[in-house]
Amino acid sequence: MSDASGPRKSRFPQPTRMERFVAVMKRDWQIYLMLAPMIIWFIVFLYKPMYGLQIAFKDFSIFRGVANSPWIGFEHFDTLINSDQFYRALKNTFMISMLSLCFGFPMPILLALMFNEITHQLFKRTAQTIVYLPHFISTVIIAGIVITAFSPSAGVVNNILGWFGVEPIYFLIKPEWFRPIFIGSGIWQEAGFSSIVFLAAIAGVSPSLYESAVVDGASRWQMMWKITIPCILPTIIIMLIIRIGNLLEVGFELIILLYQPATFETADVINTLIYRQGLQGAQYDLAAAAGLFNAVVAFVLVMTANTISRRYSRTSLW
Amino acid sequence: MSGVKLDSIVKCYGALEVVHSIDLDVDEKEFVVLVGPSGCGKSTTLRMIAGLEEITDGQITIDDRVVNAVAPKDRDVAMVFQNYALYPHLNVADNIAFGLRIRKESKADIKASVDEVAGILGLTDYLDRRPADLSGGQRQRVAMGRAIVRRPKVFLFDEPLSNLDAKLRTQMRAEIKRLHNRLGVTSIYVTHDQVEAMTLADRIVVMHDGDISQIGTPMELFLNPANTFVAGFLGSPPMNQVKAVIEDGKNGPVATFAGQKLQLAKLPALKGSAGREVIVGIRPEYVEIATPDVKGQVGIDVDLVETLGSEALVHGMLAGEPFVIKTESLTRFSELQNVTGFTIAPELVRVFDAETGLALPDQDRTP
Repeated sequence: MSDASGPRKSRFPQPTRMERFVAVMKRDWQIYLMLAPMIIWFIVFLYKPMYGLQIAFKDFSIFRGVANSPWIGFEHFDTLINSDQFYRALKNTFMISMLSLCFGFPMPILLALMFNEITHQLFKRTAQTIVYLPHFISTVIIAGIVITAFSPSAGVVNNILGWFGVEPIYFLIKPEWFRPIFIGSGIWQEAGFSSIVFLAAIAGVSPSLYESAVVDGASRWQMMWKITIPCILPTIIIMLIIRIGNLLEVGFELIILLYQPATFETADVINTLIYRQGLQGAQYDLAAAAGLFNAVVAFVLVMTANTISRRYSRTSLW
Repeated sequence: MSGVKLDSIVKCYGALEVVHSIDLDVDEKEFVVLVGPSGCGKSTTLRMIAGLEEITDGQITIDDRVVNAVAPKDRDVAMVFQNYALYPHLNVADNIAFGLRIRKESKADIKASVDEVAGILGLTDYLDRRPADLSGGQRQRVAMGRAIVRRPKVFLFDEPLSNLDAKLRTQMRAEIKRLHNRLGVTSIYVTHDQVEAMTLADRIVVMHDGDISQIGTPMELFLNPANTFVAGFLGSPPMNQVKAVIEDGKNGPVATFAGQKLQLAKLPALKGSAGREVIVGIRPEYVEIATPDVKGQVGIDVDLVETLGSEALVHGMLAGEPFVIKTESLTRFSELQNVTGFTIAPELVRVFDAETGLALPDQDRTP
């Protein structure tokens, strides 16, 4: 009979935790070897730099270094909160993120559902290749394409508008056009490639569910609504949680390449502000504070989304 | 009448013909089981009846209506799938009601139908649960509930019990049979398990390589297999088959193999057939074990005795072929250790032509 007050004690000698660890490592060393580069990458590029986070609470000077700069508490956060630029960047970040989420998140799902309905294999493959392709184009090229397409003199958009008698519009210097152009180009670049995840989820739905529905009399439209979408819902939720976690990580490379002082009003986001102040203005400590703020908000968002999802849909990241 | 008629049905995938012009008449309220090894075309045949596979040639009639070009939903059939095909995001009640909702029946009718079916299948306490929270047997019942609730003219079962463990399979088998007796709906059931076929079917259709090998009641097929394939497929253990040459004996034809002789019944087909090659089929259950002192026995080289409680299986070799005897073990336990051969009444031996594998005529026994 085992002792209820503590762990069961064996009459036979058992391996210690260290011996078990060594045995597991010896048995599965190939797997751990394959895992090692990823762990090293995380440590070097994501965990080690966290040491530098402390400059968000210091009056940092590159001459004194991270360790020797004096602590100043939350002064940089005070500065940020009282800064108009920060508020504008925060508002723009949320606006662009929310609009991207609303328009950009459903698009890959719609694409995947549409691809799933195409029965002609050659047409399906061609269409998929066309929508996947922009993902592999560099952001700089994308920005070049966007600038060229929306050019007031030779841009294809203004040319088309010209056929209908519309005067050329200077899209890229008008603040009201920045968000639609940025979000639209983002969807064009990534929606196709992102649809692969949902296509994989759709491929995992048992064909017998559809066959059963066919015998029950369901149309293709009903099968999509009543079988496909509910069956891939866990994948949609997981992708949504990940997306919410990255909500504040707007694609700032494209913003930097597309924005200009005339469009800062709607285009300047936290990351571009950090870039301008931290790198161009050499205010590393203030930029670190803004970055930390960004990370904390993202952390809270992903925790909240995960908790809500786990409670209401039984699906969660952890 | 709500019968099903298959007339010269052919199914090809490209150049490969997997079902070769089969004919089958299923009567109203009949329970027909299609049985055969993997790849024999039984599931394809069922799916053609359901409309999930197009037929390459032939004609399918359900309830006196040709349904070749009729959509599955309009054939008035319901199908139970091997993996249950339950919608994981819907609870039991919604799974059962799915087909009725698609057909836009009224909420009150749907609720009444679901409650009735749940009562029949003992699912009333589980209506709010999702499939993931049910056991295999409960899931299978929900799958059947979904089929029953639509009150179709024909039920189609595609190996519905193959995912269950042996005990649950036996239990569900009985439930399916009871349900059929109660509802009286024409049913076509596909399985590779000959025990399921024997216990459930009014008639069994044995399929082999896309053809129908034999159609008949379970006892007809057990007693009078039309060919060596059916003889080897039905029965547990299956019928022993030994190659032999016919000789004329004092009391009629005798099968000889490996220097031994086995008296056969006086079949007209064996008259004057000395020298003809045949296959003798011997059911393991019909054989009487023999110890060294028994005269007229056919000797076998016994290499294993398996005791199964009240029964025992004696394994050995006869004329280079494996040979199994199934015998009662409780009263004969001491004899089992000393088996050297067997005896059998001539009329219990089934004789097949060695070349065609077909049973010789005029030897059928009535159940």
